[in-house]
Amino acid sequence: MITEFLSYPFIQRAFLASLMVGVLCPFVGNFVVLRRMSFFSDAISHSAFAGIAVGALLGIDLSMSSLIVAMLVSLLIAFLSEKTSLSHDTVIGIAFSGAIASGMLALGMLKGYRVDIFTYLFGDILAITNTDLLFLFIISILSIVILLFFSKPLFQITFNRDLAQVEGINVRLFEYLLFFIIAVVVTVSLKIIGIILVTSLLIVPAAAAKNLASSMKHLFILSCAFGLVSGITGLIASVYLNTASGPTIVLVSIGIFFLTVLKRQGST
Amino acid sequence: MNALSVENLCVKADDRHLIENITFSVEEGRIIAIIGPNGAGKTTLIKAILGLIPYSPGSVLLFGHSMKNANSHGRVGYVPQKLEFDRTFPLTVSELLGFTVPPIYSFPFIRKKGEKKHISKLLEIVGVNELADRSIGSLSGGELQRVMIAKAIVNDPKILFLDEPASGVDIEGQERFYDLIKRLNKEKGLTVILISHDLNVVYRFADSVLCMNRRLICTGRPAETLTDEVIKTVYGEMMGAYIHSCHEHD
Repeated sequence: MITEFLSYPFIQRAFLASLMVGVLCPFVGNFVVLRRMSFFSDAISHSAFAGIAVGALLGIDLSMSSLIVAMLVSLLIAFLSEKTSLSHDTVIGIAFSGAIASGMLALGMLKGYRVDIFTYLFGDILAITNTDLLFLFIISILSIVILLFFSKPLFQITFNRDLAQVEGINVRLFEYLLFFIIAVVVTVSLKIIGIILVTSLLIVPAAAAKNLASSMKHLFILSCAFGLVSGITGLIASVYLNTASGPTIVLVSIGIFFLTVLKRQGST
Repeated sequence: MNALSVENLCVKADDRHLIENITFSVEEGRIIAIIGPNGAGKTTLIKAILGLIPYSPGSVLLFGHSMKNANSHGRVGYVPQKLEFDRTFPLTVSELLGFTVPPIYSFPFIRKKGEKKHISKLLEIVGVNELADRSIGSLSGGELQRVMIAKAIVNDPKILFLDEPASGVDIEGQERFYDLIKRLNKEKGLTVILISHDLNVVYRFADSVLCMNRRLICTGRPAETLTDEVIKTVYGEMMGAYIHSCHEHD
């Protein structure tokens, strides 16, 4: 029956998309979890919502407008955290509130009911086009290659910022780079997982892997494996059960997380 | 050449001086200890020298270059007082050291043979070979300090800053730790700037001592500088130096 489903082009695209986000989101999510940036990634996804609403108002491609706004907000958060005495959480909270308020304002100015906008709220992996797939593929490869290539300074900063600075690493540059990549990965995953749940796919597989991993290498391998399994299993389950794909994928990943908690409890 | 030259260094916070008018220099290959009571600004001084906090006015030169232009990568090693990190970080000791081994921009999971050898040698130098595959979160205080020394000397630095490196370490661990520092100083000509509360350590290991309490109080050789009067000036009237003469105990 699965092979029958896979004969449909839209299912093939959905399958490939779930493969890619299943690897990409947890890979980036490891940095989010290790650096305790879950609130940041949530703020970015909600900023993307503002971008989508503004894009709809201005008649711009929604993926592009969400990406631009998400990138601008991520850089603004980084800048304000550095230049003000406010805590990181407070700055993110301000950006978060501003983004949602702007998005709702823009939404209110739109005439009629825009199905495409609400698709972004909850995601629709079955509506992925070939262009979306190509874009996702390029972003996935670029993001993973960049993060791997700069992993040494990024891990050093994650471990201890002061030590990284003393060792000559340009901490500010790499932090901005990481924020930028998180923003790009969040926006590119929106159509698949949706604004509300995209953060879950970033952090849940990574958190599950952290329960079991004994090294960084294990962490990244396990988190991507969990993401992959969640993506594919969640997609197949959503087709069989006729449920929304995004939430189903996330629930599978949460199920995996609880299994890792039990495994960890069992081994201590 | 002086390894470190500090001139008229001041650090302010909210219009209050945390440290002011600190001027001193350290010859290459020497061990200098910085002492002072809590709140004297010792950590502030080290952080300002390392460029981790801003200072104004003042100047800091490392081997004749400003910290910014000194290409500090590899020239400076630092072991902070309280290492803030997530103990649940699934990071092994060899992975931690691997992040510092050049080349800094490379794909990390394809580890070169030379990198593995380098890490192994470092762990041997600090005497913790067996910890290579241990998670850093599982290390004891003493083990972690040794690993952090190994991390600080990965790129063969010329100067090492240690901020109360033996706090939280037992006496035996402290002895081994300072013997290691002395050995690195002798074998590699490493200049060491050390913050310590332990005057015994200062007497035994430091070539010179810098006493401060927001300002510089005195500097010189420990035996000559750490008089009763100086200790009282630095730490307060209730304190004093008891010089224990070596004799057989019953």
